Amino acid sequence: MKFMMIVMNTMNVEKGKNLMVIGPPLVGKDLFVKEILKNEVKKGSGGIYVTTKDTAEEIIKEFEGIDIKIIDCVSKIAIPDVSDDTNIKRVSSPIDLTGISVGISRFLEEYIKSGKDSVVIVFDSLSNLLMYSNLQAVFRFLHVLTTRIRVCGAKAFYIVEEGMHDDRTVITLKQIFDGVIEVKEEDNKKYYRIITPKEKTDWIEFLLGVS
Amino acid sequence: MKIGIPVLDELIGEIPLGKVITYYIDPEVEGDVFSMQTLYSNLEKYKCVFITSSMSPSSIRARFREFGWNVDESENFSILDAYSGYIGDISDERYIVRDPSNLDEMDKVVSKAIEENDLIVFGSLSTLIDMIGEEILDYVERWNKYARINDSVILYNFVAWPYDSRIVDTIKDLSNAVIEVGGIYHRVILGQYYGILKVDWKEVKGKAVLFKLVKPGGIKAYIPKILVTGPYNAGKSTFVHAISCRAVSVDRLGTTVALDHGHVEYKRFSIDVFGTPGQERFDPILRILGGEALGVILIIDSTKPEDFPRAKQMLEATTKFGLPYVVAANKRDLPNALGVDEIRKRLTVPKEVPIVPCSAVKKEGVFDVLDALLNLLIGG
Repeated sequence: MKFMMIVMNTMNVEKGKNLMVIGPPLVGKDLFVKEILKNEVKKGSGGIYVTTKDTAEEIIKEFEGIDIKIIDCVSKIAIPDVSDDTNIKRVSSPIDLTGISVGISRFLEEYIKSGKDSVVIVFDSLSNLLMYSNLQAVFRFLHVLTTRIRVCGAKAFYIVEEGMHDDRTVITLKQIFDGVIEVKEEDNKKYYRIITPKEKTDWIEFLLGVS
Repeated sequence: MKIGIPVLDELIGEIPLGKVITYYIDPEVEGDVFSMQTLYSNLEKYKCVFITSSMSPSSIRARFREFGWNVDESENFSILDAYSGYIGDISDERYIVRDPSNLDEMDKVVSKAIEENDLIVFGSLSTLIDMIGEEILDYVERWNKYARINDSVILYNFVAWPYDSRIVDTIKDLSNAVIEVGGIYHRVILGQYYGILKVDWKEVKGKAVLFKLVKPGGIKAYIPKILVTGPYNAGKSTFVHAISCRAVSVDRLGTTVALDHGHVEYKRFSIDVFGTPGQERFDPILRILGGEALGVILIIDSTKPEDFPRAKQMLEATTKFGLPYVVAANKRDLPNALGVDEIRKRLTVPKEVPIVPCSAVKKEGVFDVLDALLNLLIGG
């Protein structure tokens, strides 16, 4: 109950914003943003999940019947002939930034044309993308994507693994976002805080797996 | 050799051997299909090689199959694999670049492919620039020269990420023809188009063609639709006739009972315009036109504010489908016509929606209305 309340009360992220979610590995960043996505979709938003780690089928299982659209950058590496369906667009690999961009754009179009007023996008994760493409290429890709999010009034959360990149990479990426959600773990408790040009919240404790 | 794309075939004709063509593609548009369709259209007569740097060869073959193009049935088809080495995979393609970051090796293999083939398709020049850096452009220049000597045609897919304009200009300068593949946006993508930016072997007037992707089948050109709506007697039919080069109306006792239809040739676009008689017929028409409707022109009689509530109802239907709209404030020539600010206040339309005064009867300002809508869609 605590987690849900925290998320609902503090995640008043404005439409059109792009936020980086950063924290050490295994702290639960993906579960944190998945929870946000689930809540927003339950409230009527459209939801898009870009996965560079798990297959679309694994993500669908985790979302337990909550209707989202998925860009799967994983499955085609193993099975090139695996097909798309109305809610899944499979991209050949995380190198195929154009495929990811086209997929997000198509799903946004479908949501907006079907009358959805808000759409939430989770990008899991930028760190994986940076393993396949260099920073400049990813930066150009993000420039196009974040602009689209702003123009169409969606909200997006991009996961970045802390400690996996040098400072220059993280600073370059931060430039392009409207704010950062930092996630950490101390004494077996998990915390997050939001930093934007306007505000910096205190560390707020959250629980995972409680709804 | 032919380009194999509807409309472009007629416009640019036969591709002379030794030419270099670039598809200049918006990053949010599925534009890779263009080079695939060009390749497939020439596969029967010519030896064609597809250079991949962002997908595995099996993904490339699967991508061709999505459109019903079984390239492996032809002995003329081969793949130059500059991908597998990058991810540490083995490859059994005819041409293999084991270390794609090694420009010398890349140069050798690409040169061999140019020598042995008539059509060389670079699946993603942008990925090569991302992976190797802009020094690859020196090699592009060299490959182009080599293709000229060999009478081969080179085709580049270049995704227009926000690169330095110097890179973009160089690529355009190095090409004999540049075909733009772009998107029409209003918050999200509403339509996709292609058009000729440059051809040096033929005099061609710029034209933009809207398209859809059909699986199987490939690129299908279509004529975009604009809807003209508004309350009774606001001047919808007169407006449709005023902007169209040819138009018909189905009238009864001087008012439209079914539909106005006009065809507009304006700027680079061919557009079909549909005038609809009333709100109750509006939703079905939008549904029938499906994704081919680009936007809506709402015609109001500037002298009749009492009809504005009805006009507002009609706007609600258009915004429901996420379509952009402009307001044509018709009959501006009449003495008691309201000004734009007054109309905006009474109609309560947001400030970003253009309200354009016009007189459909006198054909004044009607193209300003069309301009305003096209401006919303493609920035002019």
